[in-house]
Formats: sequence, C-alpha cells, structure tokens
Amino acid sequence: MDSKKGYAKPGEFKPMDLLACAAAREVKDGEIVFAGTGLPMLAIMVAQHTQAPTAVCIYESGSIDGRPIDLPTSVADARCSYQAAVADGLTDVFAQLQSGRVDLAYLGGAEVDLYGNVNCTFMGGPTGKRLTGSGGNSDIHSLAKRSVLIMPQFGQKRRFVERVSYITSPGWKIPHWPDKEWVPKKDVYGPAFNGGPAAVISDMGVYRFDENGEMYLDTYHPGFSAEQCRENCSFDLNISRCKGETLTPTYEELDLLYKVIDPEGIIMK
Amino acid sequence: MARPKVVGLSEAIGQINDGDMLTFGGFTVWRRPMAAIYELIRQKKRNLHLVEVNGGTHDDMLVGAGCVGIWESSWCGHELYGKFGSNLARRIEKGEILYEDWAHIHVLNRLTAGSRGLPFLPTYAAMGSDILNPENDNLGKAGLRDGSNPHIGKYKYVMYKEPFTDSEIVLIPAANPDWCITHVQTVGAEGTVRVDGLKFSDQEVIKASKHNIIIAEKIVPEEYLRREPTRNMLPGYLVDYIVELPWGAHPTGLFDVHEPDGEFISNFFKATRTQEGFDQWAEEWIFGVKDHQEYLNKLGINRLESLKANPALGYSSTMKRGSR
Repeated sequence: MDSKKGYAKPGEFKPMDLLACAAAREVKDGEIVFAGTGLPMLAIMVAQHTQAPTAVCIYESGSIDGRPIDLPTSVADARCSYQAAVADGLTDVFAQLQSGRVDLAYLGGAEVDLYGNVNCTFMGGPTGKRLTGSGGNSDIHSLAKRSVLIMPQFGQKRRFVERVSYITSPGWKIPHWPDKEWVPKKDVYGPAFNGGPAAVISDMGVYRFDENGEMYLDTYHPGFSAEQCRENCSFDLNISRCKGETLTPTYEELDLLYKVIDPEGIIMK
Repeated sequence: MARPKVVGLSEAIGQINDGDMLTFGGFTVWRRPMAAIYELIRQKKRNLHLVEVNGGTHDDMLVGAGCVGIWESSWCGHELYGKFGSNLARRIEKGEILYEDWAHIHVLNRLTAGSRGLPFLPTYAAMGSDILNPENDNLGKAGLRDGSNPHIGKYKYVMYKEPFTDSEIVLIPAANPDWCITHVQTVGAEGTVRVDGLKFSDQEVIKASKHNIIIAEKIVPEEYLRREPTRNMLPGYLVDYIVELPWGAHPTGLFDVHEPDGEFISNFFKATRTQEGFDQWAEEWIFGVKDHQEYLNKLGINRLESLKANPALGYSSTMKRGSR
C-alpha cells in the first residue's frame, strides 16, 4: 500500500467511500456544520479527523459539538450527545441557523434541479408519490451559508431535473409567493440571505453552481466521463467548466471510515 | 396549586375526546409515548388533529389505525428503520386524510407562539418553497379557514413586510393543542418533570398545550428532584395526569434507559406497505394484547434486555448494530 496520504486507485474503494470523502472535503477548518443521518455524519467525521479538526458539528435535534466514540444512527441518537458541549433542543439550534451561524450543511433529497431546489416531499408533485416531507431540509437549505447535497444519480436521471416537481427546499432561483414570479433567492430573502447550495455530490460526479445559480459539472468520478454525467441528467448539463476527475479517497480516509468512524459496519458495510 | 392526578394509562387516555388537537414530546423515533399511542388506538379515537414539530413511527401508527382527521407536521418517517411513513403516504396519495406540510421551524414557531401566549411568530425559513405555495394550503382549500374551528387559523401563514429592516418575513400562526402526551425518564410525586438527554422541543409543545399527560419510567419523591432544580424541565402545575409506565416508549428510544428497537420498527414499516398489512400488525401488537404489561410480556425479557443502555454512555454498548 502507498503512504497513508496517497490516493487509492480504482478498484481499491467503493462508490460510497468516494461519496463520503468528496463530501468531507467541502468542510473548512473551524466551520460550523449541520449534518444529518447517514453519509453526512461520516463526511463531517472524516473532515474533523483530517483537514478540519476544529470544525463543529450541530445536529438538528439539539446536540452541539458532540465527540461520539460510536457512530450515531440518527440525529437524536444518544451517541450524538456523547461529550457534547451542549445538548438542549431544537429552538437553540434552529435559532443559530436562522441567525446565520451555520457555515455548511449536508442534505439529501429525492430530486434536485438546475437551480439546486430540492424535493423530498412528493415525487411528481402533490398528486404523486409521497415521501417523508421536509423535516429540517427546507429550513437548513434556505438558511445555511453553503449546503452540500448528497444524491444518488447513476441510472436515475429523473433525480436530476430542470425543475423539481415540488420545491421542499429553495435553491438559487425560486418563486416569490404569492405572485409566483421566479426570482433569484437573494431578492426573496433580503437581509436574511445567508447563501445557498454550494455543491451536489453524486455517485457520478461533483457539481457546483455558477454566477446565475445554475448547476455545472465540476469533476466526474473515476470510471465515468463528463458526457455520462450529462446523460444522467434530465436537463442539458453544462460540462464546459469540468476540471477533470474527482480525487479518489486517500488511504488515510479509507482507514478512518472503516476502522475509526464506522468499525461496526453500520453504513460502511 | 393544583396537583396532577396519578392514574392508569387507560384512564388518562380516556380523557381525550374525538376531534381533539394533539401533540407529543420527543423527536422522530426517540422518547415517544408509544404505550399511549397503542391505547389511543385501542380506545378507537377518531378525527384527531395532530400538530407536531416532527412525526415518526407513532403518528404513522395513529394514521394507519384511522384515528387522525388532520395531520400537520414537517416530517413522517422511521429514521434508518423505514424510508417514510407508509400509512400517512398511502392516505395522502388516496386523498383519505387532510394534511398540511410545514418546515421544521414553522411548526416549532406554531407551538412556541402558543407557549408564549402570542398569536404568531415570524421566520425566514423555507421562503420560496412549495410548502408556502398558496395552492398547497390544504385546510384552506377544504374550506376550514372560516373561523369555526379554533385550532385552524384564518390563514396558513402571512407574508409580511416588517417595518424595522423592510424585509419580507413569514408570520406563522400559533397552535394550542388540547393535549400533549410526553414520555420522560422521571417525574416527582407532585409532577415536577425531569428529562435526561436532549429536550428536543418538549418545553414548547408542553407549554403550548391546554392539558398534559406525562408518562414516566418512574415516579420519585419530590424531594429527590428538588435537590437539583437546575436539572428539572417543568413544574408540576403544568401537568394534569401522571402515568407510571416503564418501557412505555418502546419501540422508540429513551436516553440513558434503552435503545430504539430498530428491528421492531423496521418490521412495522415492512408490514404497513398495505392497509391490510397494518391491520394485521395492529391485531397482533395492539388489539391482541390487553394492556402494556401484556405487550411487554409478548416482547419478552431477552428482547428488552438487549436494548438496555449502559448508564456510563447513555446508550447500549453491547447491541449488534452493523455488519462487522
């Protein structure tokens, strides 16, 4: 095996590993991060063990800066509060979110669109298939400075669409109620504007948003091409700014995922 | 000072009327008053109006049993143990239930406003989402915002240009449920409530509600809780009824006491993909047992033991959780 900092070669890691590590790299040291259940928890923990040792993780159920020694399986898991600075409740952490203290948030969804709008309520609009609903997705996506969406994509182009069939969580371009006019997010939020979607990380690539709030391909994962990434979108994805391949996980990151963060094999099976 | 009454579960739940507005303490699959949910179903309550910061296994169960007329919340699912609340999803897809979707802060604001005696509380959350699309004001479309039901506001929300910084903000109306049912670790004989671990939104939902039922793992002498008042959450005068019922939160989790029973919840989720599946499940686990004691007997000591928390950690250190 190469040195711990070396990058793993194709075949030495699973798609899920790359997803977790690419997501982890979005965190800068010292940032305040909101994370949810599953991959987001792995991502923030990898980041805290590598480039962002002083990043703080907040879970929406109310625990702040926990130092879990066992991987939590939900945001209200007792493991989240282990060695936490504070473990109070929703009013505390959502108020901090609204007042602009949250730098980065990880979210998921069933559909994402060109402008980073997210759907986790109805696949196909209010007469379609019912999902869980917002939970904190809408609040967090609308009020964090940057949000990073983690989404499945390969063979599921219906998840990457021009317009989501129901906007659970507002992206860069949104309707202004009640007149329905589509406007930039900043025009709706005014002084409460903190930012918006920064990246979408799928099992095929990493996507970012341009000056107009429109999604483009930043890097494709090893084994895929920019063209394949575009083919797995339902809209005409901009691939002109693509920088090439996504960096693979390092051996150190893989060790962290399988031996330190999730040795029980709960998510990293 | 009015003292809460210590009663049995069926007497406490017997106070709740068809059509009442209900909310619950806890968060998703944590610290939910599940024994009370089973008893609400056994007593065949109908047309309940739920307003919840978030839902979970408990409200999906009530919906499956046909107890709920209106569901208002931000979420319904089973965390990692089931992708979504299938009873709620099925009834929404078939148009068999009235529902109102909210973001987390919205419902939190509804109950916080209610707890503070305010008519509304503003927020910036979820502006530009379809949650606030006027076409998705389902109670309005059903003609229920005519002022005849005190639990249903004249408007779902109001966009307001506030006069201090001239920003647009969403005014979210207060909610004051008739009942809140909360499961906690400890209550004093005079009703002082102590919660260990995260408080979630318990203080807001309890104080917003006209009546409160506290279900506790244990009732202790008041004197014990009053040695350390900073650890307590609520004074007893907010509590109407106390029920002592160990394991009353199963299959949801309880900090310091037991884990969620993931396998149980996951089996519930699988069974409830159809109404017939739910009915069979309810026959076995709700109607097929006469009370909570029989339910616990059916689960068996080994199953309950396997969920117990290690008090040094607040969770189980022996439970098999993953593939390794």
